[in-house]
Amino acid sequence: MKLRVLACICAALACTPAPSRAQTKSIYSNLANPAIGFNALFLDQAARDLNEPYGPQFQESEISLLSVVDPYWNLWANIVFAPDGVDPEEVYATTTRIPAIQLKIGKLRATFGKHGLLHTHAFPFIQAPVIMANTIGEEGFKAAGMEAAWLTPSPWYCELTGGIYQGAGADAEHPLDFGSSEHDNVPFLGHLKNEVDLTDNTTMELGASALSGKGTDGHTHAAYGADLTLRNVPLRRSNQRGWILQGEYIEKGSYPGGTYSREQHGWYASYQYRWSQICWTGLRAEEAFDSFTDVLTDPSTGDPVPGRIRRVSANVAWTPSEFSFVRLEYSVARADDGKGIAPLDRRLMVQLCYTIGYHPAHAY
Amino acid sequence: MKSFLRWMLALAIILAAAPAFADLRVATSLTDLASVAESVGGRHVTVMSLCKGYEDPHFVPAKPSLMKAIQNADVFVSVGLELDGGWLPLVLPGSRNPKIQPGTPGFVDASEGIDVLEKPTGTVSRAEGDVHPLGNPHYYLDPKNLEIVAAHLAAVFSALDPANAADYSANARAFGDRMEGALAKWQAELAPYKGASVVTFHRNFIYFANRFGLKLFGNVEPKPGIPPTPRHIAELAQAMRQAGVRVVLYQPYYDADASRDVAGKAGGVAVEIPTEVGGTPDAKDVLSKFDSIVSSLVKAFSNK
Repeated sequence: MKLRVLACICAALACTPAPSRAQTKSIYSNLANPAIGFNALFLDQAARDLNEPYGPQFQESEISLLSVVDPYWNLWANIVFAPDGVDPEEVYATTTRIPAIQLKIGKLRATFGKHGLLHTHAFPFIQAPVIMANTIGEEGFKAAGMEAAWLTPSPWYCELTGGIYQGAGADAEHPLDFGSSEHDNVPFLGHLKNEVDLTDNTTMELGASALSGKGTDGHTHAAYGADLTLRNVPLRRSNQRGWILQGEYIEKGSYPGGTYSREQHGWYASYQYRWSQICWTGLRAEEAFDSFTDVLTDPSTGDPVPGRIRRVSANVAWTPSEFSFVRLEYSVARADDGKGIAPLDRRLMVQLCYTIGYHPAHAY
Repeated sequence: MKSFLRWMLALAIILAAAPAFADLRVATSLTDLASVAESVGGRHVTVMSLCKGYEDPHFVPAKPSLMKAIQNADVFVSVGLELDGGWLPLVLPGSRNPKIQPGTPGFVDASEGIDVLEKPTGTVSRAEGDVHPLGNPHYYLDPKNLEIVAAHLAAVFSALDPANAADYSANARAFGDRMEGALAKWQAELAPYKGASVVTFHRNFIYFANRFGLKLFGNVEPKPGIPPTPRHIAELAQAMRQAGVRVVLYQPYYDADASRDVAGKAGGVAVEIPTEVGGTPDAKDVLSKFDSIVSSLVKAFSNK
């Protein structure tokens, strides 16, 4: 009897299916917690033409959280801590199971242009181009919304993105007026990105962007942009050499009476060169028309006035590892309102950046 | 009529000459995995590697063209242990290919089943440089580990393409047999140098050293991801002289000047070796890669 029971148990064990290979792999983290990274930026600025004290400043810090929600979604969050408050800058979910399309839903940084996609600590120059704050926002266009990015079947990388966002009026951070409260105000975006490998080491990217919505004045307001990037990363020295040549043009306008009226517009062109694993230098020229900047103010009222702003910036960065850098930058700008106010703006800046925890994959 | 028949014949010849459509499209993060996948998959697979053999696998630029390249892959084989963690988390989602995302049958972590060396114990900190917190990921430098990878891939390919499962199993066994035969030859060639010490640029040689009885004396980079300083080069060279270590090994994607500087100061020789398939022109697959490494080492040790 006992032998029969033992035989039955053994047979049952032999028939037990082998445990399937666990399908819980994450490329972000093998731990149960989200991947967590934290970045801090500090700035020392000496701007002789600005009415501000010299000296160190806490610029901002940012915590990034990233993990897999379930087999269908990932969730990303970037929360910024700045002197003027805390901002859940980006909190969005992305799909992982739709062929050729990635949906992004939440509070987003709209896929407009090139510079507008960057977090502050990833800016190639300490100061964002002047045209950014005068068109879509110094840190890009940020709003609650949804985007669908379609990787088209073309032989080269060709991505078409469409997005819709929550409308909001213009403010210091959002120069675009999408503040109409009418039901048909759904600001939308179209973005085309093309990338080709010219050689194994050099790529070219060409993009075009358009963002449109209805303003508080009832008119359509829009921003348009075009960008070109040439990038060289020698495959045999991918973390030691290389250069980036990038240019972008952005304009903002509105359609009073149905006819387009351009407001602010401008461009920048920059060249960055990597001398070694730990040293980068950069040079940027830019021009913005009918635009505002902190040094261009009416001397009698102190109110900002629009004008033509031209600026050249040069920097050198020391990057002892992937997780920190020290950057020295000098910029000279001439602002001119065309009516006699033409201040010079000279700034010497030192920026320090530190990252701990999860290190996000290097954006190209 | 004759013209029509001629055109039909020409069309038939063209179609017959056209490559057969492979059953599985396989993409890998590293060339060694691609080489093993080709051996296991045979005529049933087309294989490509995102990282080239002469490229540092830690720092592959996450170009959009890489995302495009794997948009229609059926299988993606990651080296695992976060060696490709600097770029793969952008490339995989960017491909918008649901078949190969982590957690799907088409995503393979090739490090599964590997006995991982140098797993950090205690606190892991970047004070030690850009450490690999899951252990040393360069396991593909032990021929026996590639046999484990081959068996793993055979299982994955068989699950996705059951019709050819018998071929995948047979190919994996044949690969294992070839590797075992070659391993015996390489061990015989390096036997006279068992116990010899080498310096490497990056700490990526532990699996090879363990398999073939070599010792690792130090690294040209003072810590992972930190470029060599003149002081470190001088100290390392002096230590090498005192210990009688003469061989410095480096990969094509590392700073040859620093390695040659160390070797020169130590009175030794700096040797470029392909730790990945394609790293040098003679490393066309995993077998010829190990042939190249072994012959380079034998030449370096015997010329002391």
